[in-house]
Order: sequence, then structure tokens, then C-alpha cells
Amino acid sequence: MADLFSNLALGFGVALTPINLLLCLVGALVGTLVGVLPGIGTIATVAMLLPITFGLPPVGALIMLAGIYYGAQYGGSTTSILVNIPGEAGSVVTALDGFQMAKQGRAGPALAIAAIGSFFAGCVATVLIAVLGAPLTKLALAFGPAEYFSLMVLGLIFAVVLAKGSVLKAIAMIVFGLLLSMVGSDIETGASRMAFNIPELADGLGFATVAMGLFGFAEIIRNLDAGSESDRELVQQKVTGLMPTAKDLRDSAPAIMRGTVLGSILGILPGGGAVIASFAAYTLEKKISKHPERFGRGAIQGVAAPESANNAAAQTSFIPLLTLGIPPNAVMALMVGAMTIHGIVPGPQVMQKQPELVWGMIASMWVGNLMLLVINLPLVGIWVRLLRVPYRLMFPCIVIFCAIGIYSVNNAPVDVVLAGAFGLVGYWLIKHDFEPAPLLLGMVLGPLMEENLRRALLISRGDWSVFLTRPLSAVLMAIAAFLLVLAILPSLRKKRDEVFVESEN
Amino acid sequence: MSDTPSHAPVKSVRSSRIRGPQDFVGGLALVAIALFALWASSDLQGMRGFSFGAGTAPRMFAFLLLFLGAAVSLIGLLTDGPGLSTFHWRGPFFVSVAILAFAVAIRPLGLVITAFACFLIAALGTPETRWKETMIVGACLTLGCSLLFPYALGLPLQMFPRFMIQ
Amino acid sequence: MNLYGRSLAGGCLAILAGLGALAVPAQAQTYPTRSITMIVPFAAGGPTDVIARIVTGHMAQTLGQTIVIENVVGAGGTTATTRASRAPNDGYTLITGHMGTHAASVPLYPNLAYHPEKNFEPVGLLAGTPILILGRKDFPPKDLKEFIAYVKANESKVNAAHAGVGSVSNVSCELLNSVLGIKPVGVPFNGTGPAMNALVGGQVDYMCDQIVNAVPQINGGAIKAYAIATPERNPSLPDVPTTIEAGLPAFQAQAWNAIFAPKGTPAPIVATLNAAISKALDDENVKKRLLELGSVIPGPKDRTPEALAELVKNEIAKWTPVLKPAG
Repeated sequence: MADLFSNLALGFGVALTPINLLLCLVGALVGTLVGVLPGIGTIATVAMLLPITFGLPPVGALIMLAGIYYGAQYGGSTTSILVNIPGEAGSVVTALDGFQMAKQGRAGPALAIAAIGSFFAGCVATVLIAVLGAPLTKLALAFGPAEYFSLMVLGLIFAVVLAKGSVLKAIAMIVFGLLLSMVGSDIETGASRMAFNIPELADGLGFATVAMGLFGFAEIIRNLDAGSESDRELVQQKVTGLMPTAKDLRDSAPAIMRGTVLGSILGILPGGGAVIASFAAYTLEKKISKHPERFGRGAIQGVAAPESANNAAAQTSFIPLLTLGIPPNAVMALMVGAMTIHGIVPGPQVMQKQPELVWGMIASMWVGNLMLLVINLPLVGIWVRLLRVPYRLMFPCIVIFCAIGIYSVNNAPVDVVLAGAFGLVGYWLIKHDFEPAPLLLGMVLGPLMEENLRRALLISRGDWSVFLTRPLSAVLMAIAAFLLVLAILPSLRKKRDEVFVESEN
Repeated sequence: MSDTPSHAPVKSVRSSRIRGPQDFVGGLALVAIALFALWASSDLQGMRGFSFGAGTAPRMFAFLLLFLGAAVSLIGLLTDGPGLSTFHWRGPFFVSVAILAFAVAIRPLGLVITAFACFLIAALGTPETRWKETMIVGACLTLGCSLLFPYALGLPLQMFPRFMIQ
Repeated sequence: MNLYGRSLAGGCLAILAGLGALAVPAQAQTYPTRSITMIVPFAAGGPTDVIARIVTGHMAQTLGQTIVIENVVGAGGTTATTRASRAPNDGYTLITGHMGTHAASVPLYPNLAYHPEKNFEPVGLLAGTPILILGRKDFPPKDLKEFIAYVKANESKVNAAHAGVGSVSNVSCELLNSVLGIKPVGVPFNGTGPAMNALVGGQVDYMCDQIVNAVPQINGGAIKAYAIATPERNPSLPDVPTTIEAGLPAFQAQAWNAIFAPKGTPAPIVATLNAAISKALDDENVKKRLLELGSVIPGPKDRTPEALAELVKNEIAKWTPVLKPAG
């Protein structure tokens, strides 16, 4: 314990120097502002801003980069809530209820609760990293291909549960997403799959491309339909309070707690853990809620839980990086790059050899989260005011921002065309009452699931029983089966109720 | 889960046989996508001994989608559901053209011309557009983007047409 | 760049009109007059990107112009390399290629849209990154001799990890397996990070990887290193024997990085760039940072464009028989 305090003291000593405070602030601010541009997600923001940190001293550069990372995540939630454009897989779930709240004139409370939830989660996760970072690393190493496959199956079940309409159609959308994720080169043989010799498809469809299309462009096209204009004016008149009410806070507090716990645990798992965190949290809230029917229609818990989980996971995903030196996801890989450029080789010894770097970063996480809360709460008013800009002016701006954002990810014009095509697909899906969220989640989880399945079977030499004989994997499978039964049973029961309702009409 | 559908059930007027045209057509489209995927992945290798081939997973998911699409269609055929909603051409058309124009023009013409032109094309998507204000906002957006992306963010974006630089 | 664009906007028509032949020498004398784009075919922060940034940072000082790094990822770097091969050959678009994009890609991708020798002018070698043979911490064999005997005896049981088809760890492991005459099960991962995680976690038995990624794990005792596939030992891992010392001299592999220009780039421009690279590699600070990464800095006679052309030719000849049957 004494060790912990001296370490944290060392960390805050580093993080609270004026120059590092300033870098943390600049990082958080720039990250927020870039992340809030529709079309530019977390990974793109960090990749884009990475070079500006090269000229700084190592600790300062990493503190700033971490600030950019959290800032981009905050910014990404803002676009999910305001214009229904998720910047990364985690905020797809936030968009479900956040955008509905915005439509009901409650964008202010949604944004504020997202900021508050994230701050709380950030505080808890920072302490967790400091106290349990090293022992938790073992969990990351215990996860082999079989465990990951089971986790992904569980993740897909979450995707079914979060659907608000028909379960069958939600499953169909997931499978459609899985199928789309197969485009690109095969991991084992390198064979090109369904890419039609288009070089830009050789590595598959990018998340940003599909997400901007299905959510961003499709939403715009749908809004342009005649008759929607009155809806939009209604939104602009309806804006009520900017801050959450006491009831909102009471409703969200337990959701924030649960989201934080789930996110902290899942974030440690490299490759995919953090992706699942936000919708695991959403599913949990929906399942234990007394009013599950409110989810997808503007339930504040549906914003609070995934946002807390997302942010907790974003922080605990630093654990494998700091203790093992192995980057668990794309953003962390960029962090490793930044470290190597500064001559720090991350690895198991970095904690002993450069304690001021590691603890300085841990302390700056907390400082950064506090700054983000301070930056974001006043910004809520400005964002909500943005909603009052007439839609006829706002939508061309969103189109241009999205196009530039998608283009700049790979400097590839084809990506922009693909996003446009997915916009039309998304419009069609909305018209046929198919939900795009399960599709997107299927697409994100598809490659992780297939790759880990194949790895597990390669290692077991084709023995499918590994998924049940390895204890961790078996537990995950059991949870998945249990959830699936829970998801299907009520819908079977309700089918009969509905028949009655309709016969009365 | 299907307790509150987002569209009120509308009795189909056109056909007495297809009771839920929205789901019926939607399911058929999924079947078509699945068939297309089966065709597109037909050249890929299947199972090799105990290990998956490149084509195993795509075909597996395509068959699953085929089955699910057929099920959605069947439900649309047999149970009452919402009718087909009307599609509008103006919004989708101009937004798509704007996106396409952006993709074609960004490399040869640079950011300034492309952003402004695409803004105007997209604005055609709604009859509510008032041209004077659209021009002003478009110019401001173009200026903002030209300062923000290449300078503030340091993205390697070309600003002006290629022939002016070389 | 834009000021330049505007000031030249009037004069550019004249140049286009007919000075084509004169433009080349005129350009070469003053080259470079504007910023240079350096395409890096991998993500920011990867080994190639880091090496490119360290060297170009110094080159920019020598040349008196900024060098803008453009990271273009996809298809093992071949997307970016295809684009670079079609760029104008005026010396303002360059690419930092590596062993994969400019040698192993030839047998790996039958539909490759470029050829490393036919579509590029070699400019200069930057650095080599040695390859190591690594095993999980509790893998039974203690040294390379035991390792060879063990994997040969347990060919059907061992699992070799790699970072994806076409990656350095994949092609070098294919070379090792062909030298040993075995075909173990290869478990693909999506990048070096996940592959290393699986090795540290004991999910797989062995892999080949670049020294940059492995040094901290070896020093931390998380994995074992059996040998380094270079003629000499590396200062960052003085205890790890070379493959020659340990009894497998046929396994020699380095992931090299080098700068290339599109075919037809004028020789004076190539010479200017080559001199700038050489000057950068002699700089103490650049040297120190490259050595920290475990890189091997080329000696004077390996730095010329001709030496690089020779290297590319030899590497294509080396990888083609190894990778052809696999691809």
C-alpha cells in the first residue's frame, strides 16, 4: 500500500508539472474537437494527431497522446448523440438511445450524463490500473483463441438482445454484418475473398466506411424525405433542460456503476474486449431494467451504461501495454509507435526502468478525465445550440465532413464511394425496418470470431471440444447460451399476445 | 421483443395474399444478397482436413443468411405486417451524386473546389434550400475545412487543382 | 506548397507547353524546391514507419525542404507501393519499401500491379532489422540444436505463430521451415502484437520475429530467443548466438528498409537523395536511435543505389522458391 501511494505521488508529481498539465489540456481539447467532427473516429483522430507529438519530450508526448485518445472518445460520443454518427464500434450503442434522447429534446442531459459517466468510470479505472494493473495482466494472458471465440459468440448474443424490434430480423442483420466482414484477404491463406480485384477492398471494408454510410449518410437521406421536416422543427422547439434532472441522475447512477465494472474487466482483454464492453453494459441494463421497452427509445440508462463501460475499457486497455508492452488494440499500437519513436521500448520492464513515465501517464489519465469533464459540461450548451441550425444547412455540412473524414483515413476515393453506397443500403434497411446497429456489430466481431475459431481449431487439430473443455471458454459459452434463451423466450411468448391485440383491431 | 413495431401495422391493399409486404420484400432482398455472396465466394477453397479454408466461413454465413432471409419473407407472407413505405428519389439522388463527385474530384481538383461544389450539389437534395444563404454557408465551410484539415491537422490533402501546382 | 502553387500558377502553362526536355536538368540543379512526400506503406508507429521518420527527419535538414510522411496501409504494403509506382517520377514522391513490398511480394502476390525492379529506381538502403527465432518460455528445447531436433521430431505437434500472410514474421518463418525441411501448423495472427501476446501466453510454441518487438520480452524472461539470423551478434542481445554459431548457417534473414523512387526519376535527383541518406546514417543521433531499435546500419559500400538494386535482385531470388509453393 505504501508503495502504491509513493508511486501515485511520483505520478502526480510528473503529471502536475505546468508543462504536462498544459499538454494534457491541449491533447484533450484537440482530441475532443477533432473527434467531434462527424466522419472521424477515435483511431483516425489518434493516427492523424500522432505526428504532432513527435517533437515533444517522451512523457509529455505520451500524456498528450493519451489526452487526445480520451478526448476523441468524448467527441465521438457527442456525434453519436447529436447526429447519430458513431465514430467507433463502442459508440454504436450510445447512438441507439442517445440520438433518441436528442430527438426528444433531451440532447443536453444525454451529453451531460455521458460526460459524467465517463468521468466516474475514468476515476475508477485509474485506481484499478494503479492497484491491480500487474495481477490483472494474467487475465489477458489466460485468454487464448478458444476463449476469444467464446467471448465473440457472447458478444453476438449481446447484439441480438440490444435489438428493439424483431429478434429474427436482428439475427439476419448480424449475419449480414458477418458476411460483409468476410470481404478482404483470408487470414490464413491470404486468398482474396469477395473483393472483386478492387485493391481498396483487399483488406476488407473499413469500419468508418460502413458506419458513416449506414448511420451518417442513411440518416441524412431519410431526414430529407418529405414530411420529416415537421419532425425536425419539433425537435428544435422541444429542447428542454441542458443538465440532467435529479431523477435522471438517480436513474443513471446504478447504470454507471455497473457499466464501469463491466468495462474495466473487459477492457483488459486484448483484441476485442473493449469493443464488447459497451454493448455488454447496454444488454445488462436492458435485461435487469423494469422497463426494457424504453431502451432504444431514449432511456438515459442506455447512454450512461455504455458510455461508462466504454471509457473504463479505454483506460484499462492500457494495462497490457504498460505491464506487458503488448498493444491490445489499434490505438494502443499507435501508442507503442509513439513510444518507439521517442526511444522507449515498451515491455515488461518499463514499469521498473521508467516509473516516472508509467506512473506519470496513469496520473495524467485521471487529470485528463477531470479536464474533459470541465471542458465538456460547458460545451453541452454549444452542441445543443448547433441542433438549432436549420437542417437544410446542416446536412450538406455533415456530408462534406463525412466525405473528408472517410477520405483521409486511407487517402482513398473508393472508400468515399463505398460509404455512399452503404448510405443507400442503410436507407433501404430503415425503410424495411431492419436495424443497422446489429449489422455493424456483426461486422466488427466477424473477423475476430472467425480468426479465433480457426486459430483454436488449428491449435487443437480440429477438436471442437476445446470450447467446452477449457474452463474460461466454457463459462463464457454457458453465459451465451443462457442469454440466448432469455432473449428468445419472451419473444415467443409475446407473439401470442400480439395475435390477440391485432384481432381486436 | 416485437412488442412495439415502429410503424403502425397497415393492412395491405394491393394483395390479399402477401400480408406483410415490408418483411416479404426485405427477406427476399436478403436472400438475393446471400445468393450473390455464395456466387462471389464460389471460387474459394473449402475445408482442408481439420482446418477451415478461405471459403468455409463466407459460405457458412451466406447459407445462414439465405435461411434467415427466407424465414423473414415467409413471416411477411403469412402474418400481417406493415406495407411498403414510399421511397423518395430527390434526397438519395443528390446526396449520392455529391458523395460520388467528391470521390472523383478530390484528387485532381483539390479540396477547395471539391468541397464547395459538393456542398452545393448536396444542398439540391431538399426543396427548402435558399440559395443565397447556402452559398454563404458553403463558402464558410470550404474556408474552414481548408484551414482545419491541411494546416491545423497536417493531413496530406491537396488544396488546389493539380495543374496549378505542377 | 500553396504559396509555391500560387506563384507558379501563371508560369506553369509555359512549362507544360514545351520545356519538358529542359525541365529535367533545370529541376535537378535546384532540387528540391518544394516539400517531398514520403509514402510509408505501413501504419504510423510500426518498425518501418519509425525508421523512415528517424532518417527522413535528418534528410529534411540536409535537403532544406520538409518531407511529409503519408502512411498508406493495406494488402501487406502493396497498395501503397502500387500507388508509388504510378506517381510522377520527379523526385517529389518517394516510398520507404521493405523486404516484403520490394521482394517477397513478387512470389506472394501473383497479380501484383508493379515489379520492384522494373517500376522503381533504388535510392538507398536505410537499415536492416535482424530476425530472431523465438520460443515460448516453457518450450522444452534449451538451445538451437535441441530446438531443431525437437521440432523435427514433433513436426505434427508444434505450432508456429506468425503475424499474417506476407508479414516479415510469416515469410521468415517459411524460410526457417524450408531450411529445416518441416511443415508445422502455422497459426496466423493479425499483426505482431497479438502474435507476441500468444507466444508470451504460451498458446503457441515458436515464431520468428523482428528484433524490435522481441528484445523487451526476452530481457523480461517472458519468452526465449534461440538464435539471431545475422552474421554477427546484436549489441542489444549480446547473449543470443547467431544461427552460424548455433549450427543453422543456412537461415539468414533481415527485414531491410530502403527508399525507392518511381522508375525514370532523374539520376542527379537520386544521387542528391542518396547523399542525404548517407549523411543521415552518419549522424550520431540518428545512429544511436537506430541502434536502440536493434537495427543494423549499412556500411558505406552497401549504401549506393547500385548496392540496393543488387540486394533487391538477390532477395527476390531468395524468397521466390521459399514462398512460391506456399502461396
